[in-house]
Order: sequence, then structure tokens, then C-alpha cells
Amino acid sequence: MLIVVGIGGWPSRPDPAELRRTFMKRRVVSLLVLVALMASVAFAHGDKKHVMGTLEKINADSVVVKQADGKSVEVKLVSGTMYVSRDGKPAKLSDLAVGDRVVIHATPNPDSTLSADEIKFSAAGTTGAAKPQQ
Amino acid sequence: MKRGNLILLLVVVAVGLAVAAGASILHNGLSARATPTALEAMIARNARRLAIPANARNEHNPISASDETLKEARAHFADHCATCHGNDGRGDTMYGKGLYPKPPDLRLPETQKLSDGELFWIIENGVRFTGMPAFGGGSHSSRDDSWKLVLFLRHLPQLTMQERLEMERQNPKGPGDREEDQEEQDFLRGEPVQQKHAPEHHH
Repeated sequence: MLIVVGIGGWPSRPDPAELRRTFMKRRVVSLLVLVALMASVAFAHGDKKHVMGTLEKINADSVVVKQADGKSVEVKLVSGTMYVSRDGKPAKLSDLAVGDRVVIHATPNPDSTLSADEIKFSAAGTTGAAKPQQ
Repeated sequence: MKRGNLILLLVVVAVGLAVAAGASILHNGLSARATPTALEAMIARNARRLAIPANARNEHNPISASDETLKEARAHFADHCATCHGNDGRGDTMYGKGLYPKPPDLRLPETQKLSDGELFWIIENGVRFTGMPAFGGGSHSSRDDSWKLVLFLRHLPQLTMQERLEMERQNPKGPGDREEDQEEQDFLRGEPVQQKHAPEHHH
């Protein structure tokens, strides 16, 4: 309950208009907090996975990537998988080699596996100079 | 069966269905992540068809396809449409998958069999009760842009990988996306991994 203290320090009766303003302010602040929370949640959304590491194994229908934390992740290759060289040019599966650095944008499947949407790669030993296409 | 009994039976069935639907909604909620049922999709398609005036349906594209117009439309699509439809028109995007109804796969016959006039009208006027906004600005150049987009929609089933990669560079990107791109390029250049983005949060 809001108690308004007058100049003399004695409690006075709450002014209904002041009470309304206070409640309105609280509502506005609550709404702003809610909107801020929703915005921060929205930034964290998106179901795509991002796999970065070194190619450990290349199978006919999947690749295994060793990540920086030492864990290996298998990513399935599908008909829509795009292969892109470091300079932004289209490539194909046969251009990949064990030891290449790869960045894979993948879609999680209901069975917890990953399917590659796009595999960007740079051949082992060719890292350095080249710039992406503008 | 007497007429009165038949009406009573129909009322009981209707009430039963309504109760079942209500219970299902109360139990499961109404999430936009769901896929519309075949009945809803059929009703929505017909509603969309009825929303397009007959004279608009028969309009012909005044702009002819050329490398230049397609390039322009591709860039326009990458900038304005791909956020929901995806560069390849499949709709497999964060926003596309979260809409109800989902954007259709623009490469498939359900879209490709629409006339040029219908596609143009949808771009200009949007589709009510969906995520498709009306892009028509009323000006001559705005109409031209929409007609060029119609040309691009016709080209979508033959979109090449080179074109898709070019579109990726034209997609709108926020600071987080640009930072993520930079991290990827740095990594591919041989620099050590300094991943600031959690892998599961890739958009």
C-alpha cells in the first residue's frame, strides 16, 4: 500500500490520482521488462547448428568433424547440401579431403542427427591469404 | 429414422466434435509451429484464389526475362523475401518455419501453376491471415519490381548454386550474423577457433 508522507512528516490519505499514476507506471515498467525479455529470447532462437572443425572422415553419406574441444560430430550429407570453397565458389563432395577446415551449417533431425545445408571448406595447407568473394 | 431424431443425432455429433476440438486446444494449445491440416490448407488455398480478382488473374507480365532483370530480381528477393522464403524458395528458414501457415515451397506446382497475374497480385497485395505482407507501393517502379519478382519466381526451380551463393551475400544481416561470418572466414583462413556464438544458435 502506498503511503504519501506530507511535508510535516505525517502520513496523509493516498491521493487516488497519484495511486492511478503509480499503478500505470508499474504497468508500463512491467510491460517494458516483458518486451525486453522477449527480445532477448528471440535473439537466442533458431534451430540451425553450426559445426566448425577439421574433417576427420569422409563417408559417402556423411562427414565426421573434429571440433576444437576435441569432440567429433557426424553430419549427414543430403541432396541439398551445398559445398562452398573458401573463396565462395561452388564445389562438390569430391573436393573435400581429410584434414580440411570446415564450417558446416546444419539442420537437426528429429532423431538427433544433423543434416548439412552448407559446407564451407579450406583445403589443408592452403589457409592464409585468400579473401572471400564480395 | 424420423426427422427429429436425425437432427438430434447431427446436433449430438456436432457438439461432440466441438467438445473434442475444445479439449484438444485446451490440452495442446494452438502453436504456430504446427503444420496446417490438409483441410485447412485446402480452405486457405481456395480462400487465396477467391481473394484475387478475375481481371488481375489474367494480367500478363509486361517485362521480359533477361539476365539483367533476373539479376535485379534475385537481389530484390534476397533482400526482401528470403528471410521467410529462403534464397531457394523452399521456406526452410527460422521465420518461415515459425509461421502459420508456413510459406509454400515456391518451386512446387502449387505455386508455379498460378498465373503471372496471380503471383503479381499476391506480391502487391499480400495474403490475409498469413505472414505474407502487401509489398505494392502503387508507383510504376514498384509495379515493375513486382513483375520482375514474378520472373524470378518462374526461375526458382532452375536456380543454380552460383546464384544461391550470390544471394547469400545479398541477404540482410545483423551485427551478430556479420560477426559469425567473420568468425567463419577467420577459421577457414587458419586462425584458431574463437567462437563467440553458441553453435546451437546459428540462424
